[in-house]
Amino acid sequence: MKLALDLGESFQIALRALRANKARGALTTLGIIIGIVAVVLTMTAANGLQNRFRESFSAVGTDVIYVSRMPWVVMDDFFLYRNRPNLDLREARALEEKLRGRALVNPTVDTRQDVKYRSEGMEGVTVVGTTDKQIRMSSAQPQSGRFLMSFDVTYKRNVCVIGTDVKEGLFGAADPINKTMKIGRTDFRVIGLMEKQGGSFLGGPNFDRQVFVPISSFVKAFGGNRGREDVNVAVKAPRQEAMKDLEYEVIGEMRKIRKLRPAETDNFSINKLDTLVGTFNNVMGVVLLVGLLVTGISLFVGAVGVMNIMFVSVTERTREIGVRKAIGATRQSILLQFLFESSAICLLGGIIGIVLAALLTAVINATLMPASISIPILVVAVAVSVLVGVLSGVAPAYRGARLDPIESLRYE
Amino acid sequence: MAATPTHPNALSLRDVVKTYAMGAAVVRALDGVSLEIAKNEYVAVMGPSGSGKSTLMNIIGCLDVPTSGTYCLEGQMVAEMPEERLAEIRNRRIGFVFQTFNLLPRADILHNVELPLVYGGVPRTERKARAVKALQTVGLSDRMTHKPNELSGGQRQRVAIARALVGRPSIILADEPTGNLDSKTGEGIMAMLDDLHAAGQTIILVTHEEHIAEHAHRVVRLRDGLIETDEVRRTSTRHPVPAHARDMAVMGAPA
Repeated sequence: MKLALDLGESFQIALRALRANKARGALTTLGIIIGIVAVVLTMTAANGLQNRFRESFSAVGTDVIYVSRMPWVVMDDFFLYRNRPNLDLREARALEEKLRGRALVNPTVDTRQDVKYRSEGMEGVTVVGTTDKQIRMSSAQPQSGRFLMSFDVTYKRNVCVIGTDVKEGLFGAADPINKTMKIGRTDFRVIGLMEKQGGSFLGGPNFDRQVFVPISSFVKAFGGNRGREDVNVAVKAPRQEAMKDLEYEVIGEMRKIRKLRPAETDNFSINKLDTLVGTFNNVMGVVLLVGLLVTGISLFVGAVGVMNIMFVSVTERTREIGVRKAIGATRQSILLQFLFESSAICLLGGIIGIVLAALLTAVINATLMPASISIPILVVAVAVSVLVGVLSGVAPAYRGARLDPIESLRYE
Repeated sequence: MAATPTHPNALSLRDVVKTYAMGAAVVRALDGVSLEIAKNEYVAVMGPSGSGKSTLMNIIGCLDVPTSGTYCLEGQMVAEMPEERLAEIRNRRIGFVFQTFNLLPRADILHNVELPLVYGGVPRTERKARAVKALQTVGLSDRMTHKPNELSGGQRQRVAIARALVGRPSIILADEPTGNLDSKTGEGIMAMLDDLHAAGQTIILVTHEEHIAEHAHRVVRLRDGLIETDEVRRTSTRHPVPAHARDMAVMGAPA
């Protein structure tokens, strides 16, 4: 009851104090606004990057293991992997044979080729040799035409399915289906157009700038290395929960195929979206931490501004403090009064900051990447601004609370 | 010298000493003051500057505690109380009226008067009703929404009196209440204090002006931290002094 009355009074005092020094209050608040905008935008940006990452890898199924020569992310010494043998088509077929009935296996090979249709051309497009099973490995579907079928592979047909960026680049607005384009020096007929996948992410793979061709046709057209292509084998688990078991099975089968002795380390890599996501999250964590540290400095500067102005406020109101004490204000009341005032300044700054950050986020969302302010970010921002208010108010409020009433009443 | 139980004291000071350290030197602001003031007394404390009258007022007002000696306010030993309890005593038992009014400049008149009740934890509706009533008592109920700087000096001092009254204190402690007012306005304020006294309020007045002190029925003169004289002036008051108060005054006078 007593505390509630104190709070009500403190709130009125804070409002009156802010109103009495509008310019000063506005400038002090500005420091907090800038700090909060910076912090919120950092969090939002990290969030947006994460969304963007997920979007751009949505084509990579979470229940798929990729067996490759190299790991996707090389964290240690690259030279450990350099001398590994390529995974060739024979080994891929052997693995498929071993896992028959247990998992779906799809070998792919890729290269970069220039593509051309009439006068339009694109350089360094990713050409993926694959099979009809590709379509069952991820959520990506053709938006028009059809995907590769088994007879395309069996009969080494020169047909291809293109990504949206390739379609834009070569055909513009025209319908690409049944048009014949050149991949390298070979003619391929377009039989399908994939859905948009979300584009490249920070230099990562762009699944929209891809062309799928039958793996058999790929070897015929671009092989030229006596069948020792660098094959990636995608292995899809029957169920998400079977991923871990499947991973051990795949490692075991691969070691058998490679005839590795127990003491030898694997000379192939198992890649999963999980490891990629894990790596990404680690990197994002560091980026977020550094970002928050840097933006936190601006918030800290704002807090110092609030603290400074609160010291001024306490000194200016020394006499008022004396009067309040004379008529019965306790130290606690005075302490609360000034803590409330600094918190009010910071909360006000926080709210304005959040509104500004929301507007900026909308702009980022429209131009750079999918970003949105989430409820947890809002809660954190409000909590942080109140916390900053309390922390920056403690020292001045304590000084005010400790003032001697007699001295304060005499203060001019 | 003990107070007779039949005459309830508003306050009693016994051998109060207050020393301050001024650098290396120790200043004895009060050098053993004993004083008893009965309920409904109207006492003026006089003395030149440096006589210790401010220190005495601060101790009586519970803004300060004696270095040694005892101070008993309505049966409560104030001297040993911690700061939080002193704040509560100030809130409930003392009504301050200052020379410079000391109103809160940003708050309106009503809020200024309400303030002691805010710190006393009085609920909002009761708080407002009592503040309005106190403002009616001083004749300012039509100025409640004004800010202090929109009022004249005399009006401001009346607001301060309303603020002092609103908590129904045991003592009104008026420190040079007319010091910042012209003599005519000052007389108005004094008349108001006289009326409060007539209504039963205990009033302690600090002044250095004789004609102001004449309103009180008892004058305590301080010099060099000691009570020099303590005399009852029955003739100058408009109201008869209660018999017990007179007795107290005689008994409290130093040898």
